[in-house]
Amino acid sequence: MRTSSIKFWQRRLLAGGGIWKRLYSTEIADDAGQSSKVKIFDRHLKRKQRDRAAWLMQPKDSLVDAVAENLLDRLEDCKRTFPTTLCMGGSLEAVRRLLRGRGGIEKLIMMDTSNDIVKLCKNAEMRMPNENIETSYVVGDEEFLPIKESSLDLVISCLGLHWTNDLPGAMIQARLALKPDGLFLAAILGGDTLKELRIACTVAQMEREGGISPRLSPLAQVRDAGNLLTRAGFMLPGVDVDEYTVRYKNPLELIEHLRAMGESNALIHRGKILNRETALATAAVYESMFAAEDGTVPATFQVIYMTGWREHPSQQKAKQRGSATISFKDIQKQFGQSDER
Amino acid sequence: MLRFGRVLFKEAGTGISKTLSEILVCPLSKQPLRVCEKTNSLISDSIGVSYPVVDGIPRLVPSDGKIIDDEEASNSNSAVDPDAVKNDHQRCSS
Repeated sequence: MRTSSIKFWQRRLLAGGGIWKRLYSTEIADDAGQSSKVKIFDRHLKRKQRDRAAWLMQPKDSLVDAVAENLLDRLEDCKRTFPTTLCMGGSLEAVRRLLRGRGGIEKLIMMDTSNDIVKLCKNAEMRMPNENIETSYVVGDEEFLPIKESSLDLVISCLGLHWTNDLPGAMIQARLALKPDGLFLAAILGGDTLKELRIACTVAQMEREGGISPRLSPLAQVRDAGNLLTRAGFMLPGVDVDEYTVRYKNPLELIEHLRAMGESNALIHRGKILNRETALATAAVYESMFAAEDGTVPATFQVIYMTGWREHPSQQKAKQRGSATISFKDIQKQFGQSDER
Repeated sequence: MLRFGRVLFKEAGTGISKTLSEILVCPLSKQPLRVCEKTNSLISDSIGVSYPVVDGIPRLVPSDGKIIDDEEASNSNSAVDPDAVKNDHQRCSS
């Protein structure tokens, strides 16, 4: 279990840039293999960034709304209802606003690490309450989920979990908080997110500083998402990916948008200083490499949607290995000939 | 616990809602929390940590939790002892 976790993080880190592998492996040696202690993100800083985002946030953000809408759309695919729901981290407000009675939710618990975001949601709810939903608010950390075991029907996390240090651990906690046959719905940013910015940062830093430092988070790859769900013990896992391209007037507007979403760099080993020269060079590289003919610059956001259920006897399962009574050859005899034509 | 629940339900403005008090546990130990009205906080007896409740929003982030002073911490060591918990209750509600 431990080694597989290490492997997973290494893979995640490799996606973020070669320099990370070295930093990461020294940390493993320090911690004597305690994978849960590996810190990649500064959660305290992330909390502050989200506090700031609460003030910068636009009332309606088309990217966040599109992701939340897509995620909530999945509730319409299920026949069952979800009376008790936890919505944690990320774009809480968009999820609440776009819920529109989907999923038959009666009790909604909103949780975030940032006090100000929770307050913002509470104020927004007072102005525009959801009908027939009793909403309550908690400040809590996804890594330390303060929810009783087997008490929820649905856990929604919209664009929040990619900032957890221990993603499998957070998902296991979410699974335990679910009742049997409860649904876990999550959207996280995937590895192709902001690939343009990643390239621009690298080029500019190489040019101005002669080396690179991690400016962008390592993110989960699509192929990891399925493994993650299985590892966290979810049944009937489903993963799909969507790519959104947002066009900005200039690269600085992209940075402003990231800041307003609370998605600024929160790596533990981040460069503490941003050189003005390098920042301007990054913007210039971004524009020269990626700008469209009309002068706008595109930014890719890859969103991985994950669905998983807590195990329940009523769910369909694969039969045990070796329990088959009919050979595939016989099946082919029955059906195969018509296909060969 | 029931008694606290009823009180809280009446004064939803100051305390926390019934839904929350039923569902929330200590984020570190995953053990039930006890409401202390005097200090307006949620207390996890099993590890002796109190979490503040601000404007009716409980803050259950481990870094916001405070370790309760020695006297109460010694109670927390014997949290399995129902008498210790009861004493704690009385002190808190008085």
